[in-house]
Amino acid sequence: MTISMSKQRPNIGSILTKLLLAYLIITFILFPIISMFGIVFVKDGHLSFSAVRRVFSSPKAMRSIKNSLLLALTMIVSVNLSGTLAVLIMDYWDIKGSKMLRLAYMTPLIYGQITLAMGYKFVYGKAGFVTNLLLKIFPNWNPNWFMGYGAVAFLMTFACTQNHLMFLSSAIKNIDGNIIEAGRSMGASGAKIFFKIVLPILKPSYFAITVLTFLTGMSALSAPLVLGGDNFQTINPMIVMFAQSPRSRDISAFLAVLLGCTTIILMTILNQLEKHGTYMSLSKTKTKLQKQKIQNPVSAVIINALAWIMFVIYVLPIFCVVLFSFTNGLAVKTGVLAKGCFTLQNYKNLFTKMSAFKPYLVSICYSLAAAVIVSLISIIVARIVIKGKSRFKALWEYSVLIPWLLPSTLIALSLMLSFDVRRILVGNRVLVGTAVLLLIGYVIVKLPFSFRMIRAAFFGINDDMEEAAKTMGAGQVRIMAQIIIPYIMPVVSSVIVLNFNNLLSDYDMSVFLYSPRLKPLGIIIKDATDQTATVDAVAMGLVYSVVLMVISAFAIWFSRRDPSARRKKKIATAVQQN
Amino acid sequence: MIELKDIEIKYGDFTAIKKLNLTIHDGEFFTFLGPSGCGKTTTLRCLAGFIQPSKGAVIIDGKDVTSFSAEKRRIGMVFQSYALFPTMTVYENLAFGLKVKKLPKDVIDQKVRKVAETVSITPEQLSRGVSELSGGQQQRVALARAIVLEPRILCLDEPLSNLDAKLRVELRAEIKALQSRLQITTLYVTHDQTEALTLSDRIAVFRNGAIEQVGTPYEIYNKSSSRFVCGFIGDINHFSQQVVSRLIERYHIPLDASTDAFIRIERMHRVRENADGIVLRTKVLSSEFDGSTTKYTLDYDGQTIKFLELNDGSAVPQTGKDLFLSFNPEDVLQYHAEA
Repeated sequence: MTISMSKQRPNIGSILTKLLLAYLIITFILFPIISMFGIVFVKDGHLSFSAVRRVFSSPKAMRSIKNSLLLALTMIVSVNLSGTLAVLIMDYWDIKGSKMLRLAYMTPLIYGQITLAMGYKFVYGKAGFVTNLLLKIFPNWNPNWFMGYGAVAFLMTFACTQNHLMFLSSAIKNIDGNIIEAGRSMGASGAKIFFKIVLPILKPSYFAITVLTFLTGMSALSAPLVLGGDNFQTINPMIVMFAQSPRSRDISAFLAVLLGCTTIILMTILNQLEKHGTYMSLSKTKTKLQKQKIQNPVSAVIINALAWIMFVIYVLPIFCVVLFSFTNGLAVKTGVLAKGCFTLQNYKNLFTKMSAFKPYLVSICYSLAAAVIVSLISIIVARIVIKGKSRFKALWEYSVLIPWLLPSTLIALSLMLSFDVRRILVGNRVLVGTAVLLLIGYVIVKLPFSFRMIRAAFFGINDDMEEAAKTMGAGQVRIMAQIIIPYIMPVVSSVIVLNFNNLLSDYDMSVFLYSPRLKPLGIIIKDATDQTATVDAVAMGLVYSVVLMVISAFAIWFSRRDPSARRKKKIATAVQQN
Repeated sequence: MIELKDIEIKYGDFTAIKKLNLTIHDGEFFTFLGPSGCGKTTTLRCLAGFIQPSKGAVIIDGKDVTSFSAEKRRIGMVFQSYALFPTMTVYENLAFGLKVKKLPKDVIDQKVRKVAETVSITPEQLSRGVSELSGGQQQRVALARAIVLEPRILCLDEPLSNLDAKLRVELRAEIKALQSRLQITTLYVTHDQTEALTLSDRIAVFRNGAIEQVGTPYEIYNKSSSRFVCGFIGDINHFSQQVVSRLIERYHIPLDASTDAFIRIERMHRVRENADGIVLRTKVLSSEFDGSTTKYTLDYDGQTIKFLELNDGSAVPQTGKDLFLSFNPEDVLQYHAEA
């Protein structure tokens, strides 16, 4: 008797896809990072530490490291305070007007840092609205008061509360309301309940947020560039500056590697915290947390006052940017609203002049293309990782997660330094200065987030569904196109929208990789904040910011909507019609 | 004594509790029973001080405590979710309220250990994190935490609903024994009729934010005051008005022909075909034998009825066979439309 072993035929399409993926990962993720280390540590074919020595002997570089540390440490305290206060006001305390306050506190989610830096400079800068007001009250007031460490720390304190708004807010909402009631029934005061019961539950979230905040502070770019002035420049602006000259590129590369190492160490700690530090709720039947009344009248007055002061801080830059985007050049330049200064001309220019609309078009094309490409790659890799039987499937996963451990500056710089000469890997071409390099950068930087989200969606797919399709004779392509992709489509579309929104006003990657012929929005908005910027450029910068905020608000609404609700409505309508 | 007077609780336009009046005596084990969303937990939370009534008064020992906050009512609460503090050990959970009261350390220690012993928490378990305990142990900690402050009233909101059936029976007995020992007025919320019947001195059956009936378990079960109560508690057979008319015509039994009738499934009994009195010829549709009893599903006059029979060694008729049943007309419950 002969036993015939039926071997599965190798799928040519699958092999080609894997080869293409391997090429992309090696060429655009692994090779540039390895090249960076070469630039830093290899000179004339020998191991060299000259870049390290040059950094340690450069007062500017050393000052930038110290400033970054100072900013990051300041932010740990200030951002935690402002973020916690914002979240407690929104989700924990029963405060009148909390819906309006929530809208204001959520604004950091709808603008990028460069947009915000512009808004803050516009309000508090030399010709800013608030500075004008201060000069009227105190004629000797320094018009350049909003510059340097204080200004950067102030901006970052209120701009970097996104993690609190997302993670801390959700952690508070997940607390079982009965726990608070249990504390109350035992006679504990509001403060005692908060400090002894609520805060310890939130401790793991705080650790994670603190690590992320520290990293944000260390890698700040837009805020110190726009508001830091000569005396307060941090690592990332120095990396940008040193990268511009071929003689100091090794310094730039070493600073980027330094930042990368800090990120890797802290991300590893964060990973450990995620694994071990969460207090799982014991409750099988949780009760919704009821907002807590502040019993102590003095505390109530103080908290209400703080809530509305923060409201003003959050709203003022947006309000001024929106308001002045509807004014003429004189009002934009002086920060003074005179009779007849209001006009729609700036918006008209945006939609009628190609030169004004071009940055939008460029950024929209780049962001959309990158968002779609990164989602496609993520779908393919997620599929390989989840369904693959190969021993090496983890390698795919780690390869696409590498950029998660690296600051975007390092990724951008590595691409810039690796492809500024002809490389066989890319057909013996120079990519620096071409339109494609920024697209590659955008795809790489968004790969880990997209992969994680889409992989999570894949986990939700019931294997039985696929098996059922197989028993009905469906092939892999049909299963993917008609079953898997429609199933994960809500997640994929949210990922595309979030990535698109996030990249639209990107500055950190763009500053290294943009082609001079195709300047994206982030670069144009940054240019509008320069001392040398024309009034028209500033006015258009304001218009760009307003439209960006509208797009972002829509994107966030889209990504947070409940698709099942729409489906339910459809079903209900169909039932009614029948 | 606890009195709820004309309590009304509204959420916007929705009235969750409608003009509720109730008196609970000292030392009584009183149960709020009803289906989900009937207002039993809302009433308990109103009594405990977590919800303010829109109208009416909560009176405890003659004192109007309606405006009092939860901590001033001396009520111990066991939540459905247990609401144990996840960052604290068992000891710290039990000591929390005592520390709030600023009692001396040695007194706290003494009280914690004593209450732990009362609910069978071992000294070793005291130093454990609450998340390391099983569901049953967590439930014990929740109970201990509620009684360690020696409350005037103990409120339990579906405390056993997260446990498996066996543990539920065990802890049910423990709760009852503890309540009898401490003689503490206890309010218990459940949707489980067996729990309510086995534990309670008296039961209030809730429906749509109002009380349908208050009574002892015996009264609630045997003298259900409404169709809802008799349908909610236990298994019952429903005879339509036409069937009732035919029964009256044939057996001259003292029933009201103008309405339908209900009879508990265990109140029927098997008889011989030619027995005197009422004899219903039924056909066996199915039977479930569980050792001590057999539950039959039968067809009688085009209606499906049920019958529970103790296992006395008689043969279980097969599906399709005839089974003859009788009942005592005094066991029949009848309600008019308004009931």
